Amino acid sequence: MGEIAVSMKHINKSFPGVKALDDVQLTLRTGEVMALLGENGAGKSTLMKILSGVYTRDSGEMKVFGKKIEGDLDTKRAQDLGIAIIHQELNMCQHLTVANNMFLGREIVKNGRLDSKEMNRQAAEQLAKLGITDLDPEATVGDLPVGRQQMVEIAKALLIHARVLVMDEPSSSLSNAEITEMFRIVRELKAMGTAIVYISHRLQELHHIVDSVTIMRDGKYITEGKFTDFTMDEIIANMVGREITNQFPRDFVPRGKEILEVKHLNAGRMVRDVSFEVYEGEVLGFSGLVGAGRTETMRAIFGADPKESGEIVLDGKTLTINAPEDAIRQGIVLAPEDRKKEGLCTKLSIRDNIALPNLDIICSKSGKVNKKTEDEMIEKGKNTLTIKMAGPEIEAGSLSGGNQQKVVVAKWLARESRVVIFDEPTRGIDVAAKVEIYQIINALKKRGVGVIIVSSEMPEVMGISDRVIVMCNGRITGEVDPRATTEEEIMTYATQFGDNAE
Amino acid sequence: MNKKKNSFQKFMAIPGMASVITAFAGVVILMIIFAVMNPNFAKQRNLLNLTRSICPYLLVGIGQGIVCITGNIDLSIGSVLGMSAMISATLICNGVNPIVALIIDLAACLAVGVVNGILVGKFKLPPFIGTLGTMTICRGLAEIVNGNYNTGDIGNAPLAEGLRDLFYYGKIGFLYYGVIVTLIIWFVFNYIMNYTRTGRHIYAIGSNVDAARLSGVNVFKTTATAYMISAFCSFVAGLVTMAAAGMGSMQAGLSYEMYGVAAAVIGGISTLGGSGLLVGVIAGASVWAILQNGLTLANVPVAMRNIIIGIIVVACVLLDIMRRNGMLGKKNK
Repeated sequence: MGEIAVSMKHINKSFPGVKALDDVQLTLRTGEVMALLGENGAGKSTLMKILSGVYTRDSGEMKVFGKKIEGDLDTKRAQDLGIAIIHQELNMCQHLTVANNMFLGREIVKNGRLDSKEMNRQAAEQLAKLGITDLDPEATVGDLPVGRQQMVEIAKALLIHARVLVMDEPSSSLSNAEITEMFRIVRELKAMGTAIVYISHRLQELHHIVDSVTIMRDGKYITEGKFTDFTMDEIIANMVGREITNQFPRDFVPRGKEILEVKHLNAGRMVRDVSFEVYEGEVLGFSGLVGAGRTETMRAIFGADPKESGEIVLDGKTLTINAPEDAIRQGIVLAPEDRKKEGLCTKLSIRDNIALPNLDIICSKSGKVNKKTEDEMIEKGKNTLTIKMAGPEIEAGSLSGGNQQKVVVAKWLARESRVVIFDEPTRGIDVAAKVEIYQIINALKKRGVGVIIVSSEMPEVMGISDRVIVMCNGRITGEVDPRATTEEEIMTYATQFGDNAE
Repeated sequence: MNKKKNSFQKFMAIPGMASVITAFAGVVILMIIFAVMNPNFAKQRNLLNLTRSICPYLLVGIGQGIVCITGNIDLSIGSVLGMSAMISATLICNGVNPIVALIIDLAACLAVGVVNGILVGKFKLPPFIGTLGTMTICRGLAEIVNGNYNTGDIGNAPLAEGLRDLFYYGKIGFLYYGVIVTLIIWFVFNYIMNYTRTGRHIYAIGSNVDAARLSGVNVFKTTATAYMISAFCSFVAGLVTMAAAGMGSMQAGLSYEMYGVAAAVIGGISTLGGSGLLVGVIAGASVWAILQNGLTLANVPVAMRNIIIGIIVVACVLLDIMRRNGMLGKKNK
């Protein structure tokens, strides 16, 4: 074990309404790969953003190579200290060359002209240090496979003499061969004495490179230690081990007949051979890690993304769904994941937003909007969901997050649908609003509507669903009864990537 | 008193209404300035002329405004206008019944709208590029129709005379028929935009195309409808130009797509889509026509006129943006 590269103690960080980090600590040594583990929202990314100067800490002590950091760190200062971070979504200029990207912001200039030759030479040299000799520094980054682009990012980090490297979910978008290549490079870096923080949900792969682990949960530090001292079960237990309190109002309704059946659905890389059924009077939960393919599955069913193959049967009838309008007309609706981006026309009024998918009901044959029907619909939506607003004419974008989400839900309640899909319906909204949405879900269930809920919050999906399907990497990896299962079991299914590295 | 204030506040709270009020205030201010500068401006004859010269700007403003609300742009407006003037005049000069001529002309113009709709709505071409292509093509068509010559006079047959009267020269009391026709078109499209499903869909795709699609809006159909409306407005504007000149000119409608943008934007329609009211286009088109008319009466040379109009247009929009961002507000926010 080398010297201590980074030490963070008693770190606190609050965002409006949320305590993101609560007395968190972390110790990282040179020549070591440390896995930073925890569920989505455990605070891993926040902690790393504080280390790399993207966020500032509220309180706490930070030391980098023994030097105490006074005051706030910004990204520039963090870079000067040798801290580099490689984000899950790569930050590359797709149209520029490899060398251009590596030298972005610190181009070599000779006599007022870019010295491309020198930059290409140094880029090639840097890549060679990582054992990559077959990558042309003049290749356009956008043409490279994702794995290669990641190599360029790593090489770029080395160019600024990074001694502490944070890798956030680096293997999530890589192929098996690319993962093997990346692990080789990580070992290379380790040998050079670089300290590496490795964030990943792919627990099965960790043993190839990881020396130590730090586990976080709900913004708190849980434990740390040598990787070999933990069993996989212990790691998972530490990641999810919160007590499950019953804050979820679940009503029991006897399961009725089958409403929806999805057979062998394929749509892109993230939806592979997905089959499941939904019954009357049940809430079907979809669990899994972020990027497991749950949203993609729902979008494909709804017609928002094209399908490659598969069959969707509603009430015994096979449906043809090429666009969302087909799904809506036939009784399947989706309240999407990202309300700002996909759920709301933020510039339009609340009235227009609620009316938008229901204009076929509201309008007369000639297409004239019937104000009376519309007003009744708005009134009904407002009352069932207690949307706090100055009036239905104000812009939807001016509402608070919780109220925006209620508008997104309200617009789908006005019509008699057979299946309602909620994708992350309670993300970023307060507890009171959450409970209201759970009650809506229960009300739908009682009316005999089939409800699907996609949620990354484990307690939520376990608390509200009658049956839970777990996905990983575009496939269904398990189905559990939430009353009889444990979070550990779900987590085990959710991380069944298999061991992809040699 | 209190209730009245509330309904006024409600009126002002309609998204985009404040910009419309600003635009109409601009119209009044400009009129006062020109009336003071030149007594001839406020004379009845000039004002009547003014109402007539607003028409083509208003027509292209309606078309461009609706396309802008979908978040796109239509550069082919001026060329379609020219095409409309040339096709109708050429056919009439060659002895085709004017009514038949107009029907053929309308079909040709709407076809351009459909093509624009397919390029932008279906194949997702950037609207600037897609309609730049149709703009060039249509100008070419306008030139080719009569073998690269302007047409001769459309003659004095009763129906041809009727055309001139209907779109430009005839009037009832103080109102030119052309103004009535234009206002009817405005009423129809204003109704569609505010009270029908099509109108809602147009606003929705301009505000957030993803959300609209996930709400079941057919984006292609809606985009194509907007471009067809725009083509229809250009068609009518072409007839107005043709009726005024009594002939078809190959240069008819040059730059009118930009006049359309100006009328729409001055009237408070955002080029980014999703917001704006068609009533504002009346003010926008008026500002444009008043500037042309007033500066001509003030004997400002053409070059100077263009410079002044350009500056005023930019200033108008800048002012509106600053007002929206609250930069002019005192302490609020």
